[in-house]
Amino acid sequence: MDENKKKILEMLAENKISTDEAYRLLSVLEPEGSTSEGTPKAGTAARMKSKYLHVCVLPGLDHEHGGKGDRVNIRVPMALIRSGMKFTSLLPPEARDKVTGALREKGIDFDMRNLKPEDLDELLEALSDLEVDVASSDGETVKVFVE
Amino acid sequence: MKRPPMLMHVKIRGEGRGFGLWLPLFLLLPLALALFIIVSPLILIAILVFWPRGWRKRALHIFGATFEVFNSMRGLKVDVQSGHDYVYISAV
Repeated sequence: MDENKKKILEMLAENKISTDEAYRLLSVLEPEGSTSEGTPKAGTAARMKSKYLHVCVLPGLDHEHGGKGDRVNIRVPMALIRSGMKFTSLLPPEARDKVTGALREKGIDFDMRNLKPEDLDELLEALSDLEVDVASSDGETVKVFVE
Repeated sequence: MKRPPMLMHVKIRGEGRGFGLWLPLFLLLPLALALFIIVSPLILIAILVFWPRGWRKRALHIFGATFEVFNSMRGLKVDVQSGHDYVYISAV
């Protein structure tokens, strides 16, 4: 067993920390432990399990009292995003150049021609960590997350 | 291989009026295949016409990508409400 984990369990046994604190500390150590035990693929596999991208917009309090707040709940399968992104290779070269030029104007040095399938997988894997949670003053909330 | 969606549920509601629809996609697939077989000579001619312009590869890629997008639609859910208007699309 990991030395740090042992210490946490000892502290819990001695009532120096609560069970909640012990759980929190152990969960912080968990990713570190998994990579040191030679299972880096476990994290990747867990990320690859994420199946849907959710976009939720919930109206504010005025909506509940008869207001006209918009409500959006969209669930997009990750496989659909992966397949859809393959359409970028179908863009005519002129359009692709325009996109690249527009991105460069905004200070983003990105050429769509260099986008390979393995890059796409990496991008979607990184997307699994995405979580956006915005709450406005009128109570409207916007949530974007992957599960 | 991914399983294609079998059903699509569409609900649209405006002010006072609306409709709901269950589309049996599994029944539409054989129809689409039959249509594809009927239209295939025309597609073949189009491919031959555009062959010198390098569109052959792109046309084949479009077919492949469209089929893959369709197969990946299972689980898609769109649920949007704005005032009295309501749109719900779900692929099962």
